[in-house]
Amino acid sequence: MLTNLIFGNLTLEAIPFHNPIIMGAGLFMVLIAVGIVGLITYYRKWTYILNDWVFSVDHKKIGIMYLILAFVMLLRGFSDVVLMRSQQAIAAGAHHGYLPPEHFDQVFTAHGVIMIFFVAMPMMFALLNMAVPLQIGARDVAYPYLNSLSFWLTFVGAMLCNISLVVGDFAATGWLAYPPLSEIYYSPTAGVDYYIWSLQIAGFGTLFGGINFIATILKMRCPGMTLMKMPIFVWSVLCTMILVALAFPVLTVTLALLELDRFFGMHFFTDFAGGNSMLYINLIWVWGHPEVYILILPAFGIFSEVVATFSQKKLFGYTTMVWAIAIITLLSFIVWLHHFFTMGTGANVNAFFGIMTMLIAIPTGVKIFNWLFTMYRGQIILATPLLWVIAFFTTFAIGGMTGVMMAVPPVDFQVHNSLFLVAHFHNVIIGGVLFGFFAGIIYWFPKAFGFMLDEKWGKRSFVFWVVGFYLAFMPLYIIGLDGFMRRTYHYNNVAYQPYLLVAALGAFCVMIGILCMIIQLYVSIKNREALRDRTGDPWNGRTLEWSVASPAPLYNFAVIPTANEIDSFWYDKQRHLAEGHVHPKDLHFHPIHMPKNTPAGFVIAIFAGIAGFALVWHMLIPGIIGIVGMVAAWVGKTFSTDTDYYIDAETVKETELAHMKQMI
Amino acid sequence: MTRFFVFLKWTALLAVIASLTACGAYSNGMLNPKGFITFEERKLFFDTLALMLIVVIPVIIMSLTFVYHYRASHRTDQYKPNWSHSYFLESLWWGIPFVIILVLGILTLKKTHELDPYRPVIGHHEKPLMIQVIALPWKWLFIYPEQNIATVNYLEVPVGQQIEFWITADNAPMSAFFIPQLGSQIYAMSGMRTRLFLSADQTGDFLGMNTLFNGDGFAEMQFVTHVVTPEQMTQWVNNVKKSHDPLTDAIYTTLLTPTINDKSRSFSEAPTHLFYNVINTYQSSTGRYHPRSNGEKWIKES
Repeated sequence: MLTNLIFGNLTLEAIPFHNPIIMGAGLFMVLIAVGIVGLITYYRKWTYILNDWVFSVDHKKIGIMYLILAFVMLLRGFSDVVLMRSQQAIAAGAHHGYLPPEHFDQVFTAHGVIMIFFVAMPMMFALLNMAVPLQIGARDVAYPYLNSLSFWLTFVGAMLCNISLVVGDFAATGWLAYPPLSEIYYSPTAGVDYYIWSLQIAGFGTLFGGINFIATILKMRCPGMTLMKMPIFVWSVLCTMILVALAFPVLTVTLALLELDRFFGMHFFTDFAGGNSMLYINLIWVWGHPEVYILILPAFGIFSEVVATFSQKKLFGYTTMVWAIAIITLLSFIVWLHHFFTMGTGANVNAFFGIMTMLIAIPTGVKIFNWLFTMYRGQIILATPLLWVIAFFTTFAIGGMTGVMMAVPPVDFQVHNSLFLVAHFHNVIIGGVLFGFFAGIIYWFPKAFGFMLDEKWGKRSFVFWVVGFYLAFMPLYIIGLDGFMRRTYHYNNVAYQPYLLVAALGAFCVMIGILCMIIQLYVSIKNREALRDRTGDPWNGRTLEWSVASPAPLYNFAVIPTANEIDSFWYDKQRHLAEGHVHPKDLHFHPIHMPKNTPAGFVIAIFAGIAGFALVWHMLIPGIIGIVGMVAAWVGKTFSTDTDYYIDAETVKETELAHMKQMI
Repeated sequence: MTRFFVFLKWTALLAVIASLTACGAYSNGMLNPKGFITFEERKLFFDTLALMLIVVIPVIIMSLTFVYHYRASHRTDQYKPNWSHSYFLESLWWGIPFVIILVLGILTLKKTHELDPYRPVIGHHEKPLMIQVIALPWKWLFIYPEQNIATVNYLEVPVGQQIEFWITADNAPMSAFFIPQLGSQIYAMSGMRTRLFLSADQTGDFLGMNTLFNGDGFAEMQFVTHVVTPEQMTQWVNNVKKSHDPLTDAIYTTLLTPTINDKSRSFSEAPTHLFYNVINTYQSSTGRYHPRSNGEKWIKES
């Protein structure tokens, strides 16, 4: 009885001891965890790690932690790619490959979930945290403690998803867990529950992040920076965060209803007793389509910054850019039905959603032409961030084109759910989102870490990524048109095999690209003294983040700047050049009001993780501990008045003088 | 570096040759249409492609030439660091895509109605052959109500006559019915009926499949569509009727058990109103347990 209250449905049988691959992967994860803990203990860094990182509310450090999480999960998600591509490369005709369907199904589900929720989203928040407060001349985000909570909730969600690899199984339903397949009748194991609770926890993190950045951008811009003078990246983030705030509650409610079905035997989405699975599919895409734009809009913002900086020219058509982003934001909420034209909707409804979808191509096209004409009559420096942008133009143009083609309902009746679709969305998500984020990471890396990334290895990884991408996905377009469906672990027609071999080769190239990135990181850290950014402005930047030291001091700006125009930092520099001398900086420093670090975010997230794990396995006692602990930590934090402190003027002065000395 | 590019060139060339050979050899997708609907959809596919290329090709060319021409090492005296606005240019790239999307939008509206799966095939005024489709775990059951016969994982249809499918699912999660070379795809959902019209213009064997992931047997949930002449069709129906192998309730219950890679078979008789009864089972079900479960979970074959 007590065992049942503590362990619920969890038994030792949930751990697949007989499966060497899973146990090996699990052992590997445990070894890495033990290794990290051991190293920290050996070097006696526990207080440093906890106080300076885990409990930190500094947006710059939270950004770095998001980045680490995203990159680790990218490796996890990519190992799923290796499994899938090698399985499909060999499982033709009489051969059935090495993955049985129940395993393959989990692999592609985990791949989708991890790549969207635990790679792309953390990478986006990493870039937001690294750049947005600095770009608007603020000293932190509006709610620093909430920011810490957001990160740790995302982290816990990712870990819950990882635990499912070893304890129990993951959902075998596809990344959106369509019912009735995801209902308890068709999927009785804990897999879908892992899916639900890891996304619920991470989803709350994202929602809080969205609210936080809306408040930050609306309320904390420096004097002079009106909305229409914000850097375009900040505009794209503002629109993205509005999408987050409007769309993520839908995800939370939808998954909660699904969990009610599974846990309490309710009938929101079941295929019997009055349930309606079509409702789920509508709801999940009401969140899911804006989600696509949540990923791509910040990437658009990054392209705008990078193109302008490396063309050494003002961004073309700022006002139209803002309007284009705003229109995309609005339209993204009225196109969700294009994900299921084939569900039996009437012709008028299908046509409406198809045409709305196509309309998005107009503002997107406008943005592309504006970027092209930013380069036109510029002086283009071919640094790695810009290389990613150049690859983006062609790749995204192809991806956008196939997207519009699939927006035509009768065309979709042929290519829906085929590899053509798979190729399309990888075309826009890798070619648009990921390339953009890579450009952004290389671009803002010196600002976050104080030294640049190695260019040579950066270019190598770029070449392998781009070549690998085309090899991996162009064949999929072709066999998708030939009627090869997604999510098939085996196919009878051996004529498909050459294409899938090429695709596997492409995945291999991408793997080399990732390896080059790791080497790039290693080489850069090794040569960090040579690569150090002493000026704080390594790229001849245009926006305020480049006006402070790299890495930015804890308080970001000793004196809050004033921005009287778009790209004010660039024009300040131009003026100084014209006048031939730099204005002496205001050396009258004042004490700076800063938020104190707090363990609350971390503690709440850990209890949320315990609650999530308990809910997956229906454990009563740990569940109560998790929920009570979560609420207690949260309430306890609200009673704390010891939340802020002042950095005295002397410290500020010393830090600033040190930076100035370094510049000379 | 040069060697690397030579290697790239050869890889690309090989890839193109490989795709062309394989494409010509065998295609069971929309590139090789055998029915009016797919033929129209393929045409629409290439029309849309052409319309989009009007913008996409200039974008690709401009992105490469601009970078090449205005690179910093190639000094031009055209550097205009503050030039960032032009009403003419900006109205051009709001305007041209708008016109293209306008054309495409009108085309879409028209074609979506013409090729609506629920609408009889254009140009066909004859009475359609009715076939009721039930997606089972993981196989397809086809009932010919007028002929009172049924088949599993095998479809026989006459050339030239339009066919009306009524589609539902039983003890299977949401699935999708699709014969790429003949027509559109449409979801199969328990407790509901979806419809699909299509027609075959040529005789032959065409692959039919499930396109919506519905569990372990998804990849093998395929069937052969045998398109024959009307005479052959009548003869086939008579042969099946003569076989005295009716689809009894007991056999239907065994079909409800999840299995992978079922052989195709045919039945000389189908229970009256089976299709309606299956839908009613879900429509009228109440309570906690799935109507096909008897309190058990869905059995997965391992």
